[in-house]
Formats: sequence, structure tokens, C-alpha cells
Amino acid sequence: MFKKKAFTMLAGLFVAALALSGCSDSENASSDGKKVIKFMHLWPEGSSKQHHEIVENIIADFEKEHKDVKVEVEVLSNEQYKDKIKVLSASGELPDVGMTWSAGYLEPYVKGGKFAPLDDLLEGDLKDSFVSGTTEAYQVDGKTYGLPLELNIASVYYNKAIFKENGVEAPKTYDELIKVVKTLDKNGVEPIALGNKDKWTGSLWYMYLADRIGGTKALNSAIDRSGSFEDPALVSAAEKTQELVDANAFVDGFNGLSDEEAKSMFMNEQAAMYLIATWDLPNYTTNEDVPQEFRDSVGFFDFPSVDGKGDMNSYVGGPGVGLFVSEDSDVLEESKEFVSFFTQAWGEKSVTEAGVIPATKVDGESLDLPEMYVDVLEKLNTATNITLYADVQLSADVAQVHLDQIQALFGKETTPEDFAKTHEQALSK
Amino acid sequence: MSKVMSNKWIIAMYVLPALLLISILIFIPLMLTGYYGLMDWDGVSAMEFIGLENYITALQDRLFWDSAWHSVLLALFSALSLAIYLTIALILASKIKGANLLRKIYLIPMLLSSVAIAQLWIKVYNPSNGILSTVLGWFGAEKTPLWLSDTSIVLYAIFIPILWQYAGFYILIYYAALKNIPESLIEAAKIDGATSLQIALKIKLPLIMGVVKVTIVLAIVGSLKYFDLIYVMTGGGPNGASEVMASYMYKLAFSTSNFGYGSAIGFLLLLITLIVTLVINKLTASKDEIQY
Amino acid sequence: MARLGKSLLYISLALVAVFQIFPIIWLFLFSLKSNQEIFAGSPFAMPAEFRWENYLKVWEGGIGLYFFNSIWITGVAIILTVLLASMATFAITRMQWKYSKLVLGLFMIGLMIPIHSALIPLFNMFLNVNLIDNPWSIVITYTAYNLPITMMILLGFYTTFPREIEEAAIIDGSSVHRMFFRIILPMSMPILSTAVIINMIYNWNEFVFVNTFISSDQYKTLTVGIQNFIGQYMTDWGAIGATLIISFLPLLLAFIFFSNKVIEGLSSSAVKG
Repeated sequence: MFKKKAFTMLAGLFVAALALSGCSDSENASSDGKKVIKFMHLWPEGSSKQHHEIVENIIADFEKEHKDVKVEVEVLSNEQYKDKIKVLSASGELPDVGMTWSAGYLEPYVKGGKFAPLDDLLEGDLKDSFVSGTTEAYQVDGKTYGLPLELNIASVYYNKAIFKENGVEAPKTYDELIKVVKTLDKNGVEPIALGNKDKWTGSLWYMYLADRIGGTKALNSAIDRSGSFEDPALVSAAEKTQELVDANAFVDGFNGLSDEEAKSMFMNEQAAMYLIATWDLPNYTTNEDVPQEFRDSVGFFDFPSVDGKGDMNSYVGGPGVGLFVSEDSDVLEESKEFVSFFTQAWGEKSVTEAGVIPATKVDGESLDLPEMYVDVLEKLNTATNITLYADVQLSADVAQVHLDQIQALFGKETTPEDFAKTHEQALSK
Repeated sequence: MSKVMSNKWIIAMYVLPALLLISILIFIPLMLTGYYGLMDWDGVSAMEFIGLENYITALQDRLFWDSAWHSVLLALFSALSLAIYLTIALILASKIKGANLLRKIYLIPMLLSSVAIAQLWIKVYNPSNGILSTVLGWFGAEKTPLWLSDTSIVLYAIFIPILWQYAGFYILIYYAALKNIPESLIEAAKIDGATSLQIALKIKLPLIMGVVKVTIVLAIVGSLKYFDLIYVMTGGGPNGASEVMASYMYKLAFSTSNFGYGSAIGFLLLLITLIVTLVINKLTASKDEIQY
Repeated sequence: MARLGKSLLYISLALVAVFQIFPIIWLFLFSLKSNQEIFAGSPFAMPAEFRWENYLKVWEGGIGLYFFNSIWITGVAIILTVLLASMATFAITRMQWKYSKLVLGLFMIGLMIPIHSALIPLFNMFLNVNLIDNPWSIVITYTAYNLPITMMILLGFYTTFPREIEEAAIIDGSSVHRMFFRIILPMSMPILSTAVIINMIYNWNEFVFVNTFISSDQYKTLTVGIQNFIGQYMTDWGAIGATLIISFLPLLLAFIFFSNKVIEGLSSSAVKG
């Protein structure tokens, strides 16, 4: 009898919980009658100090201009941010404004009706302010659902001092790169820092090889299904990747190292080269926490051509994080206004204060910028093509296959043929 | 006596608060996990009911079975390592000088969070300047294994920190149980001329068998759903070599937005754990618990 | 011979102790080094100069409030857990009723849930009762999720507890409550201390629930707050080491303090048969 009672009680609670889970309420008015914009970002003070400060300043400025609005901020670091956004969106509780990544990451949210289109901003306040090609990565079915903050391209950074000691020069071709690698390896210097536990790092190498061997088309058409991943150029890029592995090009244990660890090796002169995107520029230019001597010794070169093929002005890269506005926001107008304000202010401040490259157009002439920064800007301006990171371009499932395959390829647990075949299978599903 | 001790109201008063709490906070989520497993759901768009499809897919998913195998291996390691812990606890409890201090020292790693332990051991295993490679270097090893990037050893490399982390916990539990054994029993055995080894094996061990059984279940259940440390140290890699059920579930649900399928894996994880636990209980079921 | 055996025993125990504690000492040294030393120097070298500023850097991040939150949330959850677990274990093991085995089984199933699959349902539930971004959601979640393991720890004590004491109490006319609170609970102190330590460790280091259910900075706990310092762009390894040590130190102190109590409890334990 007693058990029955308890059971009824539990069942009752269960039903109540389920019934309740349908409705939700979100408070968007603070006690003093101001409208509240909930904003989540992923630049905590501890690990991204400059970014964090800029965000704080922008919010303060925005609140000064909009006396009736208060911006409530929640900051999480990258991994935690991604997890929490998942939970929030599953519960219909996305913040009014938050950060998103482009293409494959963004798509499910758009299809699920979670993000609001921002095209009216692009036609209004923000007309012509973005570098062309950046907002497109946030488009789904012709509408734009995110406004990019950063624009990055990947290049090989190298330690000029180490190169000089070993009598090698920045390679222009793949064969030269192999030679440099062999010389360094023979002299007991780790040639290339690579943290392939994170997998996208290895993907950058593969993508560049694919771009140089197969031109800008090969990879893109395999992904958009107008071509095949079993294209000889893509298989050959996988072969070349393993050739580099065989030549001992990458640091010991790269498949177990994180990108942070690899970066630390490069920055502490334990490895001579490091392929990374321009978000790392501050470390080699303005970041005071990095010894001046090291910053002075860093140079960069474009990814080498392979067997005389490849357009050196074609890059792997793309916009990084962007801002979204939640479709369900009670303060949609204010949120859009905030996003517009934010992207403009970010465009001005991020250059000088954080030393990163925003997705909005930068007037390099009028500002006093580090030499390397100016060089990179120029590269960006003369770029013939920017291929978006494969793991961003692909839908989440396929991206995971790609990333796992990259690790297997580098670890030689798969053959270039199987690598291509597995991709083809995942893509044609 | 039995009347007082079987009063339904008192029983309810003592059991219900705890039972209610776990029913609401553990069982409802559990049922919902099973329910989400019947859905095609990316965690963003509307759910779509697809019956048992996710569960059927899982049963044919090689990656899932690989991860299940790794989890089972971890569980085996953990169960075996209990023998080490038990030996140490028996030694400590045999009135050894400094036992209290040692016991405390053994527990210290347990105080660290899994994230901290992972960070720490990543640095221990670092191929170029970790402690391990350095020490092996002293002994003349030129090429030390690449602990975390060699697919054939990564799982074992991960097991060492787990062994390290939980040593104090189990030693503490065994020690407390051993200290609970009535002194008179041991004295009596000593008078009969039993050696300390005999006392340990013939008297102490049988008396704490109940506790040992509980720890076996704890170790196995804990290993089957083990997640944090592996996730931070290797992310399940390289090439899935250290993927376990919980990390696979997490990857599906949170990294690839396959929340329905991830939930199905989560539910299977629970079922597998349940079955394994029942089997252990069957295997270790002895005559009645020893009372003293 | 016996002496040799004994020395060997001590040597092996000491070796285990070194194995257990060395990585932490190493982490501590590590936290005082500069990046340069960490990467170029031998991992065993002492820091050239002790860089306490690594700690200062972390402390200045304003972790005092996180600290306070961690302490009270951990404390309240422990009290709730230990009390509820003791009561339930008592009723299950010592009182006679038909479904005691079944209910014990239910609690054991509670051990088996992978927490990540519970996140979304739990979030929804708390949302509906307005407990999101409320520290009490954390307290009750900790209590619920630690109940099963706490009960497992207590089980050994309760199943072997001598019947005679119970019977004597009943014959003396004491009520069940009186017997439980006055006799059994105090007698379970040694094993209870073990349970408290384990709960303390789990609650203090818990991460996922706080991260998911709490959004305001004012309610965050140390483990979550400190995560800010181990970020994507972070390459300052000394500071990472300092961060880890700072989050671990309070627990170490509490443990040293508490484990002395445990030993007092153990040595004066009434449970002698």
C-alpha cells in the first residue's frame, strides 16, 4: 500500500515536470525598469585579457548611449561556452546575443529557427563595412544569421634565429620544405610544432596541401558534392601529408599534444615552425608578456607550392567567431542595435588594442601598426581565395569524421586511399 | 522489537527524503535520456520520433563497440588494482608505525580535480620535457614511448593516473573497515599462534568481504562511466584509441549535435553498467554476510 | 630476517608515498617557474627564482567570492547528503520491510548515470521551478548525485553493526529516532568522516553542473571561476600550475584538519564489537 502511494507521488511529480517543461519564461526587465540584453561571450579575463577589456569597454559605451538598456554578460571559456550553448538552445533559453561560428556550426541553429536574420543591419548601418566574403560564411539560404568579428588566414610562422643557425631559408616549394625539415631534424631541432590532439591543426596542413595540389576547386567541390573526395589531387595531398610525417617534420608525439602545447613549444624556441592562423599575431607582435627577443625573431611565409603547382595567394582561413541574435529574444530590436554597435566598435578597437584582424574593413594607412600586421593585411588584400576551414565548412557529423581521419592520417593508421574513401562515404550520406 | 523496527511510517520518514531526491534529480533525467534516445534530435530543432532506430544503429556502430571495449578494459584494470589497494590497506592496518601519515599522503592525489590531474599528467607524459621521459633518459632510454600519441599504449598511459587518483580513496575505505574489526578476534588468533599473513587472509579479509564487494561495484561502475580525465588528456584519441563510452556519448551529443543518438548511447551505457553490476553481484554472492 | 622483511615493507610503502605525492610537488615547483625554465630546463631543476607573481596573477583575478561560494555550497551539500544517506541506509539495512533490497538497488542505479546525459533534462527541470542561476540548484544536485556513493560507503558499517546494541536500546524503551540519533549516528562517526571527505572532494571539484546551471559570476564556484585561467590562447604554464595549486590548497588544508578528526574518531571508536 505504502509503495503504491510513493509511486503515485513520483509519477505525479514526473508528469508535473514534463508538463512544466513546455513553458518557459525569461525575464528581460531589470528591477530599475531597464531593458536587459543577455550577452554571452567566450573571452574570459584570465586567458584573453585584451579581448575581455575591449568587450567591457564596448558594453560601457553602448550603455552610455542607450540609457534604457542594460547588458548582462556571461563569460565562459571556449569548451564550456560550446557546451552551455547546446544546453541553453535545447531548453529554448539562448541568450539574446551570443557568439557563433560560421557555416556548419551555424546551420542547425538556423534550421531550428533559433537565430534571427541580420540582413537589415547589413543593408543599413553596416553597409559595406565588412570585408567581402566574410559575412557569406554566415549565410543560410541567402540570409545572414551572424556577423563575423574576426578574419583569419593561416600562414607558417617560423623562427628566423633557428633558421639562420641551421643555415636554412624560408621554403617556397614543398621540396625546399622537405629539405629544411631534414636539415633541422639532422641538427637535432624539432622542425614543426603541431598539436594534433585538437585535429583541426593537422587539418590546416592537409587543406593547404590539397589547395596547392588540386587548386582552390578540388576540396571545395568535394565538399559541395559537385566533385568527389577521391579526386587524385586530394589523395595525393594525403600522401604528401604522410611524407611529411615520415620525414620527421612534426614534433614528437604530435597526436597527443594539444595546440596550446605545440604553440608553447614554438614560442619557447623548441620548434622552428608553426602553422597557425592570424589570431595568434599578437603573440608575435604586440603581446608584452612574450619576450621582445622572441617576437623579433619570428617571421612568416606563405604555404609552399607543391611540384610547381599552386597559387601562393590562395589561403586557408576565414572568419572566426561572429555574433548572433536569438530569434526568441524579447528585446530583438535592442539586441540588433547592440550587435551593430559592437561590430563597428570592435572593428576599430580590436586592431589597435588586441592586435587581431577584424572582419570589418581596416584602414591600415592611418594607424600605427606592427610591421608583421601590415604585411598580413596586405596578404589579405591581395588574396585570390580563402578556403574556409574544412571542419567549419562541413556539417557537424562529417566534420567529426574529417577530424578523426586527419588524426588517423597523421598517425599513419589509415592510407591516403582509405582516408579519401571514408570522407567520400561520410559526405555522400 | 520487530514491531518497532518495521513501522511503515518510520521507514518512510527515513527513506523517502533521499528516495525523492534521487527520483527527481536522477531517475527522471534517466528516463528522459532513454526517451530522447528514441528521437532524431540535434538539440536545436524539433524532435522527431524514430523508434528504436538509434539503438539499432548503436548496436551496429563499430565506434561504439570499440569504446565499450575500452571501458570494459578500464573496468578490469580498476578491479584488479583493488588488490593492490587492499594489500596496502592490510599492511597499514597491521599496526605499522606512520600508518596514519602514509594513509593521508596516499589520499592527496584524490583531492585534485580531474581537470587538474589531467593537466598534471599531460605534463608528466610530455614527450620532450616531461618527468617520465626525463627519468627514462637517465636510465639510458634514447627514444621513450610517445605515451599519449601511440595508439597501442595510450589506454595504459591513461590508466596510470586513474590508479594514482583513486589509490587513497580505496585504501581509506579498506582501512576504515579493517579498523572496525574487533581487536579481540585478532588477539585470539594471535594466541592460537597465527602469523600476520594468516590473520590477514583468514580473519581480516573474510570479515571485510562485504566492503570489498561494494568497492568492486564502485570501481567497475565508476570506470564504465569514466569521462573527465580522458576527455582532457586525449579527447578520446588518437584515432579513437582511448575513446570510452562516456566520451563517445559526449562527443555525439555535444560535439556533433546528435543529441538523440548520444542519449541512446548514454542509455546503453547505463544498461551495460547495470548488467555488469548484476553479474558481479551474482558472482560474488556468497553465503550470508558475516556478522560479528 | 623479520627485520629485513619489515624494512623492505617500509621501503615499498615509502615508494608508494613518493609516487603518490611527487607529481604534486613537481606541479608546485612548476608553478613557480618561468616559461623559459619549463621548456628549456630539466623538469627536475629548482626554479631559478621563485616566481610567486604567478600566484599573484591568479589571485588578482578576484577569486575570493568563488572561494566563499565553494565553501558554503560544499558544506551545506555535505551535511544534507550525509544526513539523508545515513537515514536511508539505516532504514534499508536495519529495519524490516519487504522492499528494502529493491530500494537499495534503486540507489545503486543512481551511481550509473553518466552526468552529461542528465544535463539537458536537469536544466529544463530547474528552469521550470525557477532555480536556474540559483545556488540551491547546485546544492540539491550535489546532494542527490552523492547520495548513492555515500550510502555505499556507509553500507559496510550498517550491515555489520551489532544487533545487540540495537536490541538493548529497544528493550530499554528508546524510540527509533532516539536510537538512531543518539546511538547509531554517533557510533558511525569514523565511517561518516570518510564519507564527508569523499563528499568534500567531489563537491569542491565539481564542474559541469555549476557551469551549466549558474550564469551569474556571483554564484560561481572556484573550480568554474578558475577555468577562466586555462583558456584557449593561454600558454603561460607557470600560471596554469599556480591556478591548479590554488584550487587544490584549501581542500588539502581542510583534509589535514579533518583527517585528524577522523583518526581521533577511529582510535576512540566505540565500534569494538
